[in-house]
Amino acid sequence: MKWSSFKYLVRQGIHSLGTHSMMTFASIGVLTVCLVLTGIAYLFSVNVDSLIDYLGSQNETVVYLNPDLNEEQTAAVDTAIRSISGVSGVEYVSKEDVLSTYKGYMSEQYADLWDAFDNDNPFKANYRVTVKDLDDIQRISDELSAIEGVDSVSAPLAMSNVFVQVQDVVTFAGYGLVAVLAVVAVVVISNTIRITVFARRREINIMKYVGATNGFIRLPFFVEGMAAGLISAFIASVIVLGGYWVLTYYSDLVPGFWRSLLSESVVPVTDVWYKVVPAFAAFSVLMGGVGSLVSIRKHLDV
Amino acid sequence: MIVFDHVTKYYETSDGENLALDDMSLHIKKGEFVFVLGHSGAGKSTFLKMILREEVPTKGNVYVAGLDLVHMKKRDVPYLRRRMGVVFQDFRLIPTMTAYENVAFAMRVTNIPEEEIRVRVPYALSLVGLKEKADRLPEELSGGEQQRVALARAVVHSPKLIIADEPTGNIDPELSKEMMELLQAINNVGPTVVVVTHEHELVQEFDKRVITIEHGKIVSDTGSPEDAGQTGETAIPDGEEALL
Repeated sequence: MKWSSFKYLVRQGIHSLGTHSMMTFASIGVLTVCLVLTGIAYLFSVNVDSLIDYLGSQNETVVYLNPDLNEEQTAAVDTAIRSISGVSGVEYVSKEDVLSTYKGYMSEQYADLWDAFDNDNPFKANYRVTVKDLDDIQRISDELSAIEGVDSVSAPLAMSNVFVQVQDVVTFAGYGLVAVLAVVAVVVISNTIRITVFARRREINIMKYVGATNGFIRLPFFVEGMAAGLISAFIASVIVLGGYWVLTYYSDLVPGFWRSLLSESVVPVTDVWYKVVPAFAAFSVLMGGVGSLVSIRKHLDV
Repeated sequence: MIVFDHVTKYYETSDGENLALDDMSLHIKKGEFVFVLGHSGAGKSTFLKMILREEVPTKGNVYVAGLDLVHMKKRDVPYLRRRMGVVFQDFRLIPTMTAYENVAFAMRVTNIPEEEIRVRVPYALSLVGLKEKADRLPEELSGGEQQRVALARAVVHSPKLIIADEPTGNIDPELSKEMMELLQAINNVGPTVVVVTHEHELVQEFDKRVITIEHGKIVSDTGSPEDAGQTGETAIPDGEEALL
């Protein structure tokens, strides 16, 4: 094919978007709605995942130290804990700190009792360890117990198991929803394209009779499909990411407990846009372009 | 130019086989003007589809411009069609393109350079008297004018064969004669013209060869007036040269 013909056909494809404005509107509309729904499902799933991650990370494993350890041995334990892979935070709490924390909880009438503890502190110094991934908590707990100088380890194993399971279910359901919506999108969009092509079967028929090759007939439809796809991807990106940005902005204004929870766990737009935009573009260009080619095929056999 | 060599065509239908062409043989020579006359259902459409290579015979063979259509590869069909110009009863113009664009389109598919298109399209439109309406959309033109745009599209790339399928079927009787005269004028400068029609009266107004089809068979062939005395089925000449 000559370069001038190629340019002409690409121009024809773009031009067709305008001349068949109702069909273009229908295709772009359907594709945009499908993308927006899929995008919302994705963002919802990502955020629930992040929220559970956040809640899970708040659970601490407490490592009680043997009361007889000297400073040097304590430092060795400290180093050993920090060298375990998957540990995200380590905080040392001396037995004096524990005592003063408990003192704060008690009323004045027990002050004498607690004062007596100042001389003979019954508490154990401990490390509060947080883990990156709750899946690793059992292993980390075992490794902590094995460190010399550690008296006992109290890990929220049951709780973390629940979190891991909830997260698995949410992830599965979230991606399942995205997959189902994507399949629905494929069906709806391919039908829309089929209708678009059917409405123009006469045009295709004329092209065949004046001696157009199949490649010549396909190219404008392909370009038109891809262009409609790109436009849909752009509109859907603006709607989904714009709407999401507004939501994240307002989540900062929510008062009290929810604010701290949301501000820690809501995934910022900057962390998702580079995944959403290319996915939208790739999906819609593929649907528009390949959908047109598939739909046009049976009309070419004249 | 066109040779049908004992062509039989059956269509598979739910009621069994439907015979559309029955052992048809004919020879249309280069430069001839031929009417193919028949009632609806006589086999005219199948006859046309054979020439356009939309269908292939169940038996027999069809040659157009020396090309064996039965053994032709599908990918070569567009190049066969580029050698022809076709005018349809329903005009078949692309509704979103202007008269100029519709005519230019037939040239663009054959990769003709834009400079040549800019010269030949206005010329073709002026031949059919529509140069002034080049930028009109089909819906802004009368039936007769649309048919003339279709004719301009059929001739713009200087084909050697013009096929007109009921070219006067959708236009006023007074314009029908005008259309036929245009086709005759085109034939006078070289191309072979085949007009498929059911309009007996129209055919009688012109002193041209008339092939009459009924039930898929040729029932009469007046032969070319130029070859006085030669009537009936024309013998199939041997050799490729005779086909051209």
